[in-house]
Amino acid sequence: MTDAELIEKLKADLGDKVVEIALPARRRLFLKVAPRDLVAVTTRLRDAYGFVFLSTISGVDNGEMFEIIYHFSTPETDLNLRAEIPKADPHVDSITPVIPGAILYERELQDMFGLVIDGIPDARPLVLPDDWPAGNYPLRKDWKHARPLEVIPGGKS
Amino acid sequence: MSFQIPIGPQHPALKEPISLRMTVEGEVITDVDIRLGYNHRGVEKLAEEKTWIQNIYLVERICGICSHSHSTCYVQGVENLMELTPPKRGMYIRYLVSELERIHSHLLWLGVAGHEAGFDSFFMYTWRDREVVMDLLEMISGNRVHYAINTIGGVRRDLDAGQIAKIREGLVVLRKRSEYYFHIGANEPSFVGRIAGVGILPKEKVIALCAVGPTARASGWARDIRKEDPYAVYDEVDFEVATADSCDVLGRVVVRVKELLESYKICEQLLDKLPPGDIAVKAPRKAKPGEVVSRYEAPRGENIHYIKSNGTDKPERLKVRAPTLANYPATVEMLRKGFIADIPLIFAAIDPCICCAERSVTLVSAASGDESVVRMSELRRRAIARHHNAPPKRNAVWPF
Amino acid sequence: MLNKLARWSRIKSPWILHLNSGACNACDIEIIAALTPRFDVERFGILLKATPRHADVIVASGPVTRQMRDRIIRIYEQVPDPKFVIAVGACAMSGCVYRGAYNMLGGIDQVIPVNMYVPGCPARPDAIIDGVVKLLGKL
Repeated sequence: MTDAELIEKLKADLGDKVVEIALPARRRLFLKVAPRDLVAVTTRLRDAYGFVFLSTISGVDNGEMFEIIYHFSTPETDLNLRAEIPKADPHVDSITPVIPGAILYERELQDMFGLVIDGIPDARPLVLPDDWPAGNYPLRKDWKHARPLEVIPGGKS
Repeated sequence: MSFQIPIGPQHPALKEPISLRMTVEGEVITDVDIRLGYNHRGVEKLAEEKTWIQNIYLVERICGICSHSHSTCYVQGVENLMELTPPKRGMYIRYLVSELERIHSHLLWLGVAGHEAGFDSFFMYTWRDREVVMDLLEMISGNRVHYAINTIGGVRRDLDAGQIAKIREGLVVLRKRSEYYFHIGANEPSFVGRIAGVGILPKEKVIALCAVGPTARASGWARDIRKEDPYAVYDEVDFEVATADSCDVLGRVVVRVKELLESYKICEQLLDKLPPGDIAVKAPRKAKPGEVVSRYEAPRGENIHYIKSNGTDKPERLKVRAPTLANYPATVEMLRKGFIADIPLIFAAIDPCICCAERSVTLVSAASGDESVVRMSELRRRAIARHHNAPPKRNAVWPF
Repeated sequence: MLNKLARWSRIKSPWILHLNSGACNACDIEIIAALTPRFDVERFGILLKATPRHADVIVASGPVTRQMRDRIIRIYEQVPDPKFVIAVGACAMSGCVYRGAYNMLGGIDQVIPVNMYVPGCPARPDAIIDGVVKLLGKL
């Protein structure tokens, strides 16, 4: 089915779970839902529409809110599922019961943004070093770091 | 009784630092734990402080082997954001370099697979042939790796008739040599026997764990971004998606060898159809606010970049997911129930590009919790010795 | 007498250890390409060894990430004296494009003493061989 038909079907199927749906370019659907409906919508997309392949999960820091985007795709089209989480209470449910391959992406979100993903099977840090001080989330916009002082051996520093 | 074996960040088997801790019972692995982070360079944060053009060079250096794929994926996305359409000639040159990069990467991988299986002559042969491709790339772009041929709006260097003739000659030589490799399997039953049945990954696991690239295609999951989401010139050339059904390392070798053949075909078609004209359009300094998802089929699988712009000359957010990261859960799955001796081979079979992640293997004994460090070279020696002593697998068939 | 013999064998046939501390892989591929038939360093007696304890020269590439810092020091201490360190590539010299990132400490010389720098991004195999030979000439 074409992208436009898919949009109509999704609107009819998911009803009021759809906060916003857009098609800015061919094969790029952007569907926004509320965070509490994420697992339900993901399950429905996987079972009825064949969106089994998750490319990655992106996080964006928008100031007061975090935006998480799940990038799904099938051979016919790509669907980007979006949800907004308030920074003051950054909790979201894990979708690993639906898509087991999402585990590494969720761990990365926890590391980089400080999101708390409820129900994640393995909450260890993924990419940050062992001696990283807790509470520092590098990809938040308000996180700055001091550049380490470099020593030039045998020269002026 | 189980055992824990760590293989440290520095070891000779795979050239990048990564840490795997494996829980072992006897010779069979029961669980694997991957520790990434030795190669974490903070590229996404750095990208927010550099302009659109400076980011091309930063993104290119995410990986040395697939540098053009990251650069092209990024530039495709930014061109969408800025609503630019590069001229046809520029696109053809860009994707010609992409296919040459795919050829060099697959030849590199064939050599590494041969080395891990104990077949060092094969390693030397394929890397000698790789030098043909490196010379072509150096002639086109000026550098053997990190070609920096992309710019926003097209490419930076043009091809003239002499260069095109040389590329054609190089492709003829490579094709002849690659066809020799296809018949190696028929003459080397020990090589085929070594890699058959190792690292099994059934198709349902591929789907559940979202594996990408030749690792997934070797289990019959025929997804290739060049066919599904044809960006630019891929809908104007004729090629097939390579798959295999055996779900093991032999299948992955077969898929990559088939992809080599397809790449030669694509390169020749691109050279035949190369249109005249400009190679780039001028790009504005600032991009309009918006977001874009850009996907590309790198030699290792699907490369996806998500770029968001806020109207200035620096990106608001750049998210990169390199293909090897997507194959990690699948690797854990493949290593379970495998033998310790097969670790280097299975790990090499996903064509890991850890810089896109790090490598040491820790084998953890499940019963006693003891840890012991085993070097990858030790594992490889054990693997080769074990294979010499085991009865040969007579039922493995080379499909060519 | 034995010293002279040891010194002669070290110069004529150095064994190298390849250390990657968080690089993009390009320099590593060029180091391995130096072993392949086109450049062939094995004719000079240079062997790529698996373990630090057998090596004379550490060929290091890549900028130093925080996670790798302690491991690099540990590996350096495992290499027996006299040892030499060659920093290959712009990343190992000063951090290349990753300077200033939150997880980076800069080049290899922030962590271990370096004897020879080979520039390039990536350094060509010819340049790497040149660097090794020049280092041996200074011994």
